Amino acid sequence: MVPSASPAVEVRGLCKQFRVARREAGLGAALRALVRREYTQVDAVKQLSFVLGAGERVGFLGPNGAGKTTTLKMLSGLLYPSSGELRVMGHVPAERRSEFLRTISLVMGQKRQLSWDLPAVDTFEFNRVVFDIDAGDYRRRLDELVSLLAVGEVMRRPVRQLSLGERMKCELVAALLHAPQILFLDEPTIGMDVAMQLSIREFVRRYNVEHGATVILTSHYMEDVAALCPRILVIDGGQLRFDGSIEALTRRIRPLRRTSVGADEYPPAEQLAELGHVVERGAGRLVLDVEPERVPAVVQVLLALPGARELVVQDAPLEEVMRELFRREAGAERGA
Amino acid sequence: MSGGRSAGYYLRLVGGQLRMSVLAALQYRLGFWTEGILGILWSALGMAPLLIAVEHLDTVEGWSAWELVVLTGCFTLVSGLFGALIQPALNESMNHIRKGTLDYVLLRPADALVLCLVTAFAPWRLIEALGGVGLIVAGLVKLGRVPSGLDMLAALGMGFAGLLALYAVGVLILCASFRAVQLQNLTFLMEALLDFARWPAQVFRGFLRMVFTFVIPLAVMTTYPSEALLGRLAGGTVLSAITTSVALMVIARLLWTRSLRGYSSASS
Repeated sequence: MVPSASPAVEVRGLCKQFRVARREAGLGAALRALVRREYTQVDAVKQLSFVLGAGERVGFLGPNGAGKTTTLKMLSGLLYPSSGELRVMGHVPAERRSEFLRTISLVMGQKRQLSWDLPAVDTFEFNRVVFDIDAGDYRRRLDELVSLLAVGEVMRRPVRQLSLGERMKCELVAALLHAPQILFLDEPTIGMDVAMQLSIREFVRRYNVEHGATVILTSHYMEDVAALCPRILVIDGGQLRFDGSIEALTRRIRPLRRTSVGADEYPPAEQLAELGHVVERGAGRLVLDVEPERVPAVVQVLLALPGARELVVQDAPLEEVMRELFRREAGAERGA
Repeated sequence: MSGGRSAGYYLRLVGGQLRMSVLAALQYRLGFWTEGILGILWSALGMAPLLIAVEHLDTVEGWSAWELVVLTGCFTLVSGLFGALIQPALNESMNHIRKGTLDYVLLRPADALVLCLVTAFAPWRLIEALGGVGLIVAGLVKLGRVPSGLDMLAALGMGFAGLLALYAVGVLILCASFRAVQLQNLTFLMEALLDFARWPAQVFRGFLRMVFTFVIPLAVMTTYPSEALLGRLAGGTVLSAITTSVALMVIARLLWTRSLRGYSSASS
C-alpha cells in the first residue's frame, strides 16, 4: 500500500506521567503504607513527536516499559496525555467522539474483548449493535474475515475452550467488523507458535493492502515487525530514538553485511580475518561480517572455495541491531 | 465525550447487552436453574419481615397492614431492579477498572458512562421485580383502591427519581473505584442500606430521616411512590424528590468525567 499524503497520525511533544504508589517489601512496610503511602512520578512518555501517513504499516520497537503501549493507548483515546498535541484521523483521541472510535480498533494480545463464556459469534453480533453496522455490511465483512482467518467452526465454540491462536483470530474478527481505518496491534502474536504467528502476520498484511488501513504494531517478536513494517519507531525510556526503515537502522547501527557460505574446506584464520570479522566457523558453515563495499570481492573469494554452496548475504538480524542500539543508548546515558 | 447518538441507538445497545447477559445465563444449565430458584426464593424471603410486622402490629407509623404490602411491593420492585440492572453493572465495571479491561468498553463508540452502566445484567433478579408488581397490585386490590391517572403518574415519577438516585450513588462508587480498586463490597453495602427502604420513611426521625430523603434518598424510592399510589402524596414532594435525584445525578456525572481523565488502564 502506498501511503497517501494526508497524515493519519500527528503527534507533537506528547508526554504522559503516572503517579505510582511504592513501598518496601514486608508486613511492616505494608502496614505503614496503610497510614502514609509514598508516591513516585513515572515519566512513561517524554516529548514524543512523529507523523504517520494513511495506509502505512509502522512498528513500535523498544524494551519492556519503553512507553510503547502507553503511546498506543493515548493514540486510541484510552489515556489522557499529560501534555502535547495528538491527532488521529483529524480527531483528538481523548475526546472519545463516536466518529473517531468508529475509525479505529485496538487489539491487545494479553487482554480480550470476547465474552469468555459465550461463542465468539455472540460477541460479533453484539459489536454489530455497538458499532451500528448495517446488516448487509456486517454479513459481508463477517464472511470475508471468517474465510480469511478460517474460523467458521471455531467461532461457534465457547471462547474459554479455544486455543490462544484461535482466540486471537476471533479477537481480530471482532476488532475489524466495523472496518476501522486505523488498526492498533499491541503484541498480537504473544505466546503463539510460529505457524500461528505467520498466519496472523499474513492476515494483517493483507488487511492493510486490501483496505488501505494504517497499521501500528508493537511486538517483542522482531520477525513480526521485520516482516510487516517498512517503517519502525524505536522508543526507549519514553523517547523516540529512531524513526525510519529497518535497513536504515541496520546501516546506522550494524553496517556490516552478514555473509555466510557452506564449503568443504575453509581458508586459514589469518586469511579469513582479511575478508571480514569471523562470527562463526565450523559445522560446515562460515559466517563473516563484511564491510558493504567489500562484499562483491569477498563473495568472489567465498564462491571459489572447494564445494562452495548456499552463499547468503544479508543484514544483521534485527534482534542484534536492537540489542546493540539499546547497549549504546545505555552507555551514552551512563557517560552523560 | 462521544455525543450525537440517538435514543434509539442506546435502546438497541441496552437490548444487545441484555441479550448477551441472557445468553450467558443460558450457557450453563445448572447455573440457569440455580439462579432461577434463587430468584424466586429471594422474592419470597423479602416478604418475611412484613409478615412478622403485620402479625404483631395493627399499624406502623400510620400505615395499615395492606398499605405496608403496597410499600413492600415498591421495595421489592426497586430491590429487584437494583439486583438485575445496577449491581451487576457496577461490579462488572469495577472488575474492568481493576483488571484494565475497561479499555475495550471505552473503545466502543458510545457514552462511556452509559456503556459502564449497561455492561452486565442479572436477568433472573427481574423475577423479584415482577413479584414486587404483584404485591403492589394485591395490596391495592385488598384496599379497594384504584389509583387515578395523576396518582399513577406521580408514582412513576417518584419511581424514576428513586432509580435515578440509585444510579447516581452507584456512579459515585464507580468513580471512587478509579482511585481505590477494590470497592466491590460497597455495592453490597448499598444493597444492605436499601433494606431500610422496606419501612415507611416516617419510621426514621431527625438526622436519619434527612439522610434517607436527601443523601441516600431511600424514601424517594419506596415510601413516596407508595404514598402516590395511595393518593396521599403532595405535589411539592414530587417536585423536590425529582430535583434531589437530578442534582445527585448531575454531581455524579461531573465526578465521572473527572475520574475518567484519571483512568490509567493496567499494565499490558
